[in-house]
Amino acid sequence: MNLPGSLVDTSQQTTNLKNSVLGGPIIYGVAALVSLVGLFDAIYLTIGHVTGRSLRCTIVTGCDEVLSSPYATVLGIPLALIGAVAYFTCFSLATLAAFGYRTAGKLLTLIVALMFLTTLALLYLQAFVIGHFCQFCLISAAATFALAALLLARRFNWPTSLRSRGSGR
Amino acid sequence: MKRVLPIVIILVALAVALGAAWYLKQNATRSTAPVANGPVAPVPAGKPAPTVVEPGAQPPHAIGVAGAPVTLEEFGDFECPPCGRLHPELKQIEHEYGQRVRIIFRELPLVPTHAHALAAARNAEAAGLQGKFWEMHDLLYENQKTWHAAFDVRPIFEGYATRIGLDLERFKRDLGSEMVERRIFLDGKRAHSLGVESTPTVFLNGRELSFESLALDKLRGQIDAELAKAAK
Repeated sequence: MNLPGSLVDTSQQTTNLKNSVLGGPIIYGVAALVSLVGLFDAIYLTIGHVTGRSLRCTIVTGCDEVLSSPYATVLGIPLALIGAVAYFTCFSLATLAAFGYRTAGKLLTLIVALMFLTTLALLYLQAFVIGHFCQFCLISAAATFALAALLLARRFNWPTSLRSRGSGR
Repeated sequence: MKRVLPIVIILVALAVALGAAWYLKQNATRSTAPVANGPVAPVPAGKPAPTVVEPGAQPPHAIGVAGAPVTLEEFGDFECPPCGRLHPELKQIEHEYGQRVRIIFRELPLVPTHAHALAAARNAEAAGLQGKFWEMHDLLYENQKTWHAAFDVRPIFEGYATRIGLDLERFKRDLGSEMVERRIFLDGKRAHSLGVESTPTVFLNGRELSFESLALDKLRGQIDAELAKAAK
């Protein structure tokens, strides 16, 4: 025999289960889309680096300064190319995680954490060392921050936790 | 199916990414068939280029005779660092080949990529109205780093105008003149009609050169090949 209290608990569990099943793939799916934005931005920057010409920078004015600075390459490899590889890895892992591969989700968190720290360092360099911002680098930074936010939301089980709190009132 | 689907998605994304990279690279380094003033331009594969090539500002700023067997037409931005690096190479070409090579400069200030590019273009065109375009052109490229870093470039440019012996009052008036604006606008129209989007872009006898082939040795090789062709 089910008591009214235990009925409420069961329905709460069902709601949580539904949210975790739906929330995970959706968050990873969005993360995959954000990774694609970062990937194509990084590809554009890589080609700009390879061809060496001045590209049209339509929002800010510091693209040349940033992209021709010594920080634009690491051991002779264009940083944009490293970024493209990182974003493609993120896309692959997010896609796998969306299909239920748990290890992929953990690896994705690790890579995004590294990218987040790298992005902070690059923003610092643009703001305080080079003194100019490149709009394509800012798009990449926004993509990394969005990825980090999505994975944090996943880590803290949002929006399930918010709904749980809401239903508890 | 559920196991294969993510792999398929990843492979499709990889193919699209590589395709995009290839397309951008082709666009950046494409070579077009010869074009000149006026005729119908070839449309590079996959690029919706306008069909009529604009003539640009007339007469163009040119070094060398009109009938030279080789013409190099550069679309440049005085504030663009790669253009600054190309400048001594073109001076070297001018020195080595003399009247056999004609060099044309077209204005393509990348705004707002370069904060002072338009002011520099106006500066050179205003100097051109007093017959000293190339003197100002050289000064702007040789001192690019100096004025690029400045907040207010006007006193620096006026200093250059004085240095090359321009009538300063006329120069100041000409900076905002319709003639100056029109020349920059017409060169920009020509650039657009040829599908030029970045600087420096150089055409050798109407054929766009890839950025990699602007290295001095490669440039010499291509000029020599054109000269040999013309001599036959």
